[in-house]
Amino acid sequence: MSIRYKTIKELSEMLKNNDISHPELIQETFSLIEENKNLNSFVTLNKENAILKAENINKESPSILNGIPIAQKDLFCTKDLRTTCGSNMLSSFIPPYSATVIENLEKAGCISVGKTNMDEFAMGSSNETSYFGNVLNPWGHNLVPGGSSGGSAAAVAAGIVPAATGTDTGGSIRQPASLCGISGLKPTYGRISRWGMIAFASSLDQAGPMARTAEDCAIMLNHMCSHDPKDTTSLDENIPDFTSTINDSIKGTKIGIVKEFDLSKLDNDVVKVFEESIKQYESMGAEFVEVSLPNISLSVPTYYVVAPAECSSNLSRFDGVKFGKRSELASNLEELYIHTRSEGFGDEVKRRILIGSYVLSAGFYDAYYKKAQQVRRLIKNDFDSAFKKVDVIMSPTTRGAAFEAGSKGSDPIQMYLEDLFTIPANLAGLPALSIPNGMIESKPIGLQLIGNYLDEQKILQVAHNFQKLSDWHLKTPSEDIS
Amino acid sequence: MDKKTVSTISYLSRLKLDEDNQDKITSDLENIIKFVDQLNDTDVNDIEPLTSPLEKVAKTRADAVTAENRKEEFLERAPKSNEDYFLVPRVVE
Repeated sequence: MSIRYKTIKELSEMLKNNDISHPELIQETFSLIEENKNLNSFVTLNKENAILKAENINKESPSILNGIPIAQKDLFCTKDLRTTCGSNMLSSFIPPYSATVIENLEKAGCISVGKTNMDEFAMGSSNETSYFGNVLNPWGHNLVPGGSSGGSAAAVAAGIVPAATGTDTGGSIRQPASLCGISGLKPTYGRISRWGMIAFASSLDQAGPMARTAEDCAIMLNHMCSHDPKDTTSLDENIPDFTSTINDSIKGTKIGIVKEFDLSKLDNDVVKVFEESIKQYESMGAEFVEVSLPNISLSVPTYYVVAPAECSSNLSRFDGVKFGKRSELASNLEELYIHTRSEGFGDEVKRRILIGSYVLSAGFYDAYYKKAQQVRRLIKNDFDSAFKKVDVIMSPTTRGAAFEAGSKGSDPIQMYLEDLFTIPANLAGLPALSIPNGMIESKPIGLQLIGNYLDEQKILQVAHNFQKLSDWHLKTPSEDIS
Repeated sequence: MDKKTVSTISYLSRLKLDEDNQDKITSDLENIIKFVDQLNDTDVNDIEPLTSPLEKVAKTRADAVTAENRKEEFLERAPKSNEDYFLVPRVVE
């Protein structure tokens, strides 16, 4: 029985029924990785340890994740396993500890099979900024998988692993999920510990699950969340069983449509797919309500002040002294910093550090950084008002389906607009997910559901109800794709 | 945004930019700054800046040592170190 394209739930059943043994499951996962090497979705494999863990697994464990192969985004530190963050700067970095979320998943029985490719330091929307090369989209090898969690998305979409971890600062889970036809969830800011995640923009970064179904995302989330004293922004809130309410009816659920998201600017096909989803939800008894988010159009400019500012501070730690790359060219300490950083970072990372230094520099701080934080509050206030009227807010995840590598040209702003629909949830800190809801010219596209604070259960329930009555999430790329 | 500003911020960032690429970098940065200048049209008078979506006061903890000493593990990951220190080029002549 093939393990390809199976969900966590299905693989767990296969293990329980002895249709496959634990070591066989892991061996077969590595065969799939090998067969799909051309996707370039993995940067580092954890083969020896993974097989060893499968051979010695406690078969009596009741955890649904026991023995399940998972791919980890190469942004999470993994003890004694190379962690590059897609950068030359960390191309030979071996962390002395694992991120809390990795520990949580491994404690639940997950087997980390490898580290997935990503845009350098999570800065990109197409996986084209990785030091380790582009990742190919399983739905078409000329297409990008999205980013920054492009390797994780491609590995799940190709049916290699049932689930992977991702991180989302401006859409880095949801946008690749949309472009690869899988499900991906960014939880409420603070739900999952950021300890051991290599920081990009600390007030926006959040880890989350990527899987074939919303139900599998809920299963993963159950084990990824924890209150972590090592992360001061980690929430000390009740963590529910996220699967417990997914089957509840959504009759009477109020779904908000954002008045200011101008869909007329999108391709007809995208609008058609979105309207079909509205119809499907109406037939399930959901009610649609128009909500106004008057400041939403300022989300992308706000993000491109806040995120670079935080990135320029966070990435100042890469100086060639304590870990990571060090330039050989330096003759004094200052040159050591300058040469190391100039050699170690790629163009997009440099660009964002420069913007960050600019908006934080004396004389510009109030005009840019403070102003952006003030607009950020207006955006959050807009959401607060909207959630007084609705349970979830729905929009397309992306402006279109996957695009061709290199097609966004050399204008960075064109790439930044890729995250138009996803950035607002990061600015406000709200949970949001993407599920596949249609195809455009044989390429998948996703639907975004944004929930109120800590209400991941509601968006998972609304998403799971959709997947019970549709088969977009079951579609797989054809084998003869090139 | 002119070449002089770019040179100042690249020094602040401890980055040396590719000479051949200066014009492209300057125009990219200029376009990005123009793009975020949209924020200037919004009235934000009296709006408290939002620094983090949580807006919770960071929790304090007892002032007790929780981390173990793992000096060797950390030093061995450094590009250059001896048994006690991270090594950098000489700073005092």
